[in-house]
Amino acid sequence: MPHTSTSAIHADLIHYAETRLEVGERVVARLMTDLDVDLRFHGGLIVLTTTRLLHVEESRATGAPQFRCWGLMEVQDLTLEETGATAALHLVQVGAGEWHWRMTSGRLREAEQFIARYREQRGQTAVSSVAEDEEEVEARPSVSSPVGKPLVRLVRFSKPWYPLMALAFVLTIASTAAGLIAPWLTISLVDDVLVPLQNAPQSVHVSRVYQFMVWLAGAAVLAWLLKWAAIYVVSRVAERVTSHMRRATYEHLQKLSLSYFNKKRTGDLISRIGSDTDDISLFISVNFIDFACDVLTIIFTAVILFSINPPLACAALGPLPVVAWLVQRVRGYLRGGFAAASRAVGALNSVLADTIPGVRVVKAFAQEQREIERFRAHDQHIFDTNDRVNRTWSFFEPTICLLTDVGLLVVWAVGAWCIAHEHTKVGVLTGFVLYVGRFYVRLDSMSRFVASAQRAAASAHRIFEVLDVPPDMPTAEGAHMPGRLRGEVEFRDVRFHHGQREIIRGLSLKIAPGEMIGLVGASGAGKTTLINLVCRFFDVSGGAIFVDGRDLRAIDVTDYRRNLGLVLQEPYLFFGTIAENIAYGRPHAARAEIIAAARAARAHDFIMRLPDAYDSMVGERGQQLSGGERQRISIARALLVDPAILILDEATSAVDTETEREIQAALDHLVKGRTTIAIAHRLGTLRRANRLVVMENGVIEETGTHDELLQRGGAYARLHQAMQEVNQP
Amino acid sequence: MRLLAQDSGLSLIDDAGVRHDHVRPVRLFPLTDAQHWVALIGDGGRELACVEDVSAMEPEQRALLEAALARREFVPIIRRILKIARAAGGHIWHVETDRGKSAFRIEADESIQSLGGGRLVIIDSLGTRYLVANVSELDRESRRRLERYY
Repeated sequence: MPHTSTSAIHADLIHYAETRLEVGERVVARLMTDLDVDLRFHGGLIVLTTTRLLHVEESRATGAPQFRCWGLMEVQDLTLEETGATAALHLVQVGAGEWHWRMTSGRLREAEQFIARYREQRGQTAVSSVAEDEEEVEARPSVSSPVGKPLVRLVRFSKPWYPLMALAFVLTIASTAAGLIAPWLTISLVDDVLVPLQNAPQSVHVSRVYQFMVWLAGAAVLAWLLKWAAIYVVSRVAERVTSHMRRATYEHLQKLSLSYFNKKRTGDLISRIGSDTDDISLFISVNFIDFACDVLTIIFTAVILFSINPPLACAALGPLPVVAWLVQRVRGYLRGGFAAASRAVGALNSVLADTIPGVRVVKAFAQEQREIERFRAHDQHIFDTNDRVNRTWSFFEPTICLLTDVGLLVVWAVGAWCIAHEHTKVGVLTGFVLYVGRFYVRLDSMSRFVASAQRAAASAHRIFEVLDVPPDMPTAEGAHMPGRLRGEVEFRDVRFHHGQREIIRGLSLKIAPGEMIGLVGASGAGKTTLINLVCRFFDVSGGAIFVDGRDLRAIDVTDYRRNLGLVLQEPYLFFGTIAENIAYGRPHAARAEIIAAARAARAHDFIMRLPDAYDSMVGERGQQLSGGERQRISIARALLVDPAILILDEATSAVDTETEREIQAALDHLVKGRTTIAIAHRLGTLRRANRLVVMENGVIEETGTHDELLQRGGAYARLHQAMQEVNQP
Repeated sequence: MRLLAQDSGLSLIDDAGVRHDHVRPVRLFPLTDAQHWVALIGDGGRELACVEDVSAMEPEQRALLEAALARREFVPIIRRILKIARAAGGHIWHVETDRGKSAFRIEADESIQSLGGGRLVIIDSLGTRYLVANVSELDRESRRRLERYY
């Protein structure tokens, strides 16, 4: 693990640096670097102390760390330069030259903080504060996923069904044992009845034959009954475990943060919940019970064989070690192959989840052929991986078969020799052959188990991978349940960075309850990010957001979001009726309330005209409705929850004047008496806002009403001018 | 508000005493709650009034409204499914309804929607709605045929 070794190196360097401190000198801040000047991975440590700047780096040749230091008086400045995926820290010495460090851009934030510390320290040479938070960052334990083999975890996951599983197991043992009665009866049938019958027909009464027939039939029926019960119980267990697993995965998925979904591909997640759980179900229901049967049969048979005739048993079981060795060899290979196949199916699903919703774009740009090619490439990948697995597999199974035949051959040969030398009887040999046949059939199906177990392990791994992701925004213990909010929102020096990019850079704003704020600014100014922060889709990186005077992070997320109404640029309608879509935020709303909300949102009239009115189904993307209609349904949806804080992301695209008028009228109802934060594009919204907040590069450029800002002739006036030109060509 | 019979339709005198002719009644929840929320629409598609509960109306008024609704509505209720045959671009259903025998074509699985409680609505390729009041009350053969598609 390269990561752990790097931190081990850093720990060594920190330790070493401490030995070089002078009396009275204290550490203020530390910065780890991980590259050398030639951009090769190389651990280093820069330490800022009360009087000096120290640099230690691991040595390649001698083994002892290399050390350098500068008195703070010798340093003119420290500057940071972003260089794509890496960053450079420059030390400008007083008078004589520069010194450089390089690091991967993941350390950029730490480097910025380090420089900030350095500037503070330079200002106040004597006063010092040990950088406690840096220490904390280092000390934070990495989120370790609960380790364990996927199949073992699968067994632990099935805990609620242990009793049922135990029953299944008992039934399996019983049915396996019942299956072994018949060959045992055969021995007696041949030796005590058939052979004497052949030699001296009068010596055996015919009723003996009937007796054996009845016993054999009874054994068959018993085996059938027990097997039936066993399979029934096991399938029940399997369905329950997989259903539990599907639900748990989906429940967990719903708790994960937006950023997780931004990173993941939809199709892959769908395939994890859909087909990977299926593999597991199949494994538990079919293969696992088979496997248990196999193992038991093999053990029982071996015991029986040895009890009848040890030398013959030895001969019969001769090929067993070869099989064991083969299974072991093939196992690891298959596992890798199945994991690859599972991933490939996920990738294929991703293509589907990507292109089917985007089919309009595909058609509009006439890229059908290209999408077909893309699909074909992914399909080819599945094909190739499966082909590879099958190649191993096709060799493996017949080989087991061959070994079975060899085993039988040996039994016949040794048996013939034994009969010739009168060591054994024909009946015993017949029984032996029957047992050995069963034995190797089991071995064969056991070999199949190897494949399915590996497939299930690969699938279980993919599912546990999802389950092991911690929810990003865990509800804090004892979080405040705000109930109904007044709707006061305050940003205090809010900062947010995504990766290396700082998107919000110290923004302060206080919004009174019931006030309507219009956010204005060029795209990329941070408006959407600000809204995401208010919705708490992400947490702030610095500063804080206060709602009704309380830090947002101390408020229960779910309870808080009940106070939010969200109207998005691209309103998302779920598959369901219009009434269901309007009542999405309050599923138990009365029909009267739904109609009232639709009326207020100016959606009632067009809904009435649909064939099934409020019962009309709207598709996944609400295809049958126009953009303006969908917008109004989403306004009705927000109205129905009666939010304290309304978030409005206005569509940039212009709609016709009539629709515009309808939407504006709908919005009038919506914003009344609520704190509203709107990303505003439409003139109507801009005029209606109590205050416009003009953003630029993550900070507030100016605030004021529409008219004030126009008169001021600043950034807003320019933006407005540009907008007018676009709208009225 | 009062409803009046008009030669082949409905007229409405609103609370202000103004008479509106050619009034169209529309059920707002035709599938999930047909007995409540009937909108009365005048010329130009404007909603004139809305009846919240049909059963609470005066009998004579209610009869007028229901007659007007009945004239506009056509939702056969499927009693038996005789045959479902595969055909180009979908399936042909041969059914027995409360309005007699019929055959219709449906195009996709999405044309069959569950309304909960065993109620199904089936929209055929021409937009006609067929209702199954309760799947479990269908006879065994019909259920078996339905099961393959829903």
